[in-house]
Amino acid sequence: MLCWSISAIKLSCHSYPSHAIPSRAMPCSLAGGKRDTDLILPINSSLSVTLHQDQLKTTTTAAASRDFTEDRLWLNGKEADVGHPRVQACLREVRRLARKRRGGGEDAAALSLSYKIHIASENNFPTAAGLASSAAGYACLVSALARLYGLEEELSEVARRGSGSACRSMFGGFVQWQRGERPDGTDSLALQVAPETHWPELRVLVLVVSGEKKPVGSTAGMQTSVETSPLLKHRAEVVVPERLAQMMQHIRDRDFEGFGQLAMRDSNQFHATCLDTFPPIFYLTDVSRHIIALAHRYNAHHGHTKVAYSFDAGPNAVIFALTDTVAEFVEVVRRSFPPATNGDQFVRGMPVGSAVLPPELVAAVLTEPVPGAVQYILHTKPGPGPQLVDDPSQHLLGPDGLPRSRA
Amino acid sequence: MAAERALAMATCTAPVNIAVIKYWGKRDTDLILPINSSLSVTLHQDQLKTTTTAAASRDFTEDRLWLNGKEADVGHPRVQACLREVRRLARKRRGGGEDAAALSLSYKIHIASENNFPTAAGLASSAAGYACLVSALARLYGLEEELSEVARRGSGSACRSMFGGFVQWQRGERPDGTDSLALQVAPETHWPELRVLVLVVSGEKKPVGSTAGMQTSVETSPLLKHRAEVVVPERLAQMMQHIRDRDFEGFGQLAMRDSNQFHATCLDTFPPIFYLTDVSRHIIALAHRYNAHHGHTKVAYSFDAGPNAVIFALTDTVAEFVEVVRRSFPPATNGDQFVRGMPVGSAVLPPELVAAVLTEPVPGAVQYILHTKPGPGPQLVDDPSQHLLGPDGLPRSRA
Repeated sequence: MLCWSISAIKLSCHSYPSHAIPSRAMPCSLAGGKRDTDLILPINSSLSVTLHQDQLKTTTTAAASRDFTEDRLWLNGKEADVGHPRVQACLREVRRLARKRRGGGEDAAALSLSYKIHIASENNFPTAAGLASSAAGYACLVSALARLYGLEEELSEVARRGSGSACRSMFGGFVQWQRGERPDGTDSLALQVAPETHWPELRVLVLVVSGEKKPVGSTAGMQTSVETSPLLKHRAEVVVPERLAQMMQHIRDRDFEGFGQLAMRDSNQFHATCLDTFPPIFYLTDVSRHIIALAHRYNAHHGHTKVAYSFDAGPNAVIFALTDTVAEFVEVVRRSFPPATNGDQFVRGMPVGSAVLPPELVAAVLTEPVPGAVQYILHTKPGPGPQLVDDPSQHLLGPDGLPRSRA
Repeated sequence: MAAERALAMATCTAPVNIAVIKYWGKRDTDLILPINSSLSVTLHQDQLKTTTTAAASRDFTEDRLWLNGKEADVGHPRVQACLREVRRLARKRRGGGEDAAALSLSYKIHIASENNFPTAAGLASSAAGYACLVSALARLYGLEEELSEVARRGSGSACRSMFGGFVQWQRGERPDGTDSLALQVAPETHWPELRVLVLVVSGEKKPVGSTAGMQTSVETSPLLKHRAEVVVPERLAQMMQHIRDRDFEGFGQLAMRDSNQFHATCLDTFPPIFYLTDVSRHIIALAHRYNAHHGHTKVAYSFDAGPNAVIFALTDTVAEFVEVVRRSFPPATNGDQFVRGMPVGSAVLPPELVAAVLTEPVPGAVQYILHTKPGPGPQLVDDPSQHLLGPDGLPRSRA
């Protein structure tokens, strides 16, 4: 018999956005003819670094109760459309897997699949920053739902149905999203290449850029790219498979020179295919170009790759570096893009030591400053996969299944 | 025996050209052989031209070169390559025998060259310059044959300036480059409605030079390789067909795509090369909104390795689009010289167009617009008063 009356079972999970290198997996609905766009299958494999949740995370609480009359969804405190196709796809898939697992028999202790669901999700970083990654959101949603329904198996496939890159957020450290070959997508999955502990010296600086115009959305953008760019086709079929193997080797070897160069090249190639799209898509701005040029001058000055940039489908720059480079490069960024206001909150996240820039570096690397172009820098590092939150006081929903007002 | 000529002088003018299927990357840097064929539109010399006078005399003691009135280095390898090639062809043509009436190949050469457009505009095309040099030298030495190969040795795109109208530079297969030549696809009279607007952009930083830039691209960009081997051959055939058919929709779309793809390969270069600026992107977005508003391709942009935008359009679009550009990029000063070249009629923009196409203006971003059209190849200048050098072989001071 039930040892508790099932009114509500609440579970929360933490998840976080990942940054991809090489990224830009594109959902493909055209290769070989029409295909169900719900499956979100990429034209190429991709590889990413999962960032640490101390700096960037999504928290999601999922609750099920026989007393709920309808599914509901809250994002960062505001009610959102639970009917969103991607949310529904995740819900459907989780319920289908749960049903399958139960083999049709009714397991009395299991949560009834007929109960309605309440979901609340929050990010610990400002949404306006353009970091609000759908990857973290859907990975978290899937993790919470899976916990709710007692699922433990292959969840990256389910996360993928919400948002392609979400499947990579189902693991910590260095993650590959394998393209897969099957039309039904059952082999398009994420797997961990190396854990977050593999490369202790690796650091990530997210340069949050100021007030840029909202860029072209990824879903529509990548669809147009698939349809119109000959270079993208070549990239997916020929260039990426080779680079993926190289990148995995660089990671295994903790070879920052190789890792960094390839990360920069692949970021540039992604944006090149956006430019080769018709009409062309521009995610890189003049500020992005300043950052790129700065990185190249900095590396040239030091005579080897010390920092590596990577830009996604948005204005923010992600910089990879090793621990011994962080303080100096943060100072270089501060001098190149002086904060508009008194910058005491200019550097956030993990602490950064101070650094004095040698005159030769100043002469070789710094050019005309661009004040206010960078809002702040977030210092983080590779981190673990989704986490279960045990502490009930951390639930985002109250016992009534409604968002808890949190001080 | 007839007396040898003491001084011979020839003056030519040559045009600028804009590639619509772009050349970027060499397979041989000495012979200037490209990795892919290219196709261009030659612009009219009334608006853009280089004038070059070449003189040879037994009284000259050394080769000398003046560019826009200032003496320049005649030892420049590309200049020397052209000189050497012309002399080689002349020698070959004479078959070793000494033709008394012909100009002696041992005489030194004086060359003076001028553009009718400001150098700072970034339009100062090496194409026009070398095409003109080769034309003047050939006239001097009595050569008439295949000169695009010689011009190519000065600057790749110069071979396309050896013809008017629509010109293809065939990549060629031979290692010695003897089949890497330009040929005319259609004459300048083929498409009377076609117009060109050059948007001269203001005060941008000097971009990466083409020669070094394209070399880095060849060495580092996997996408460029694919472009040259697979994409361009197909596009070249399509573009030639669009031109033959006077199909502006096809011509314009392909021109825009190829411009973008060229810049995409620059971005795929390592370190990346950026020729497009925020202003370039504004112009691109403006063109797409304008075309979307009208429901078909009315304007087509093309950007080379520099900040200026070239816009292709048909005559009935020019006035309206010039007004759109004026409203989008209001001239910094009172813009009476904002529109130059061929006359442009006035236009009133309908409110629906204003609402759909115009966004936040970017004042001063465009210095001026030059209105031109396809034009002829190099021309001989018969009028002796137009020579840039005097009878003494030195630059003439011109009022």
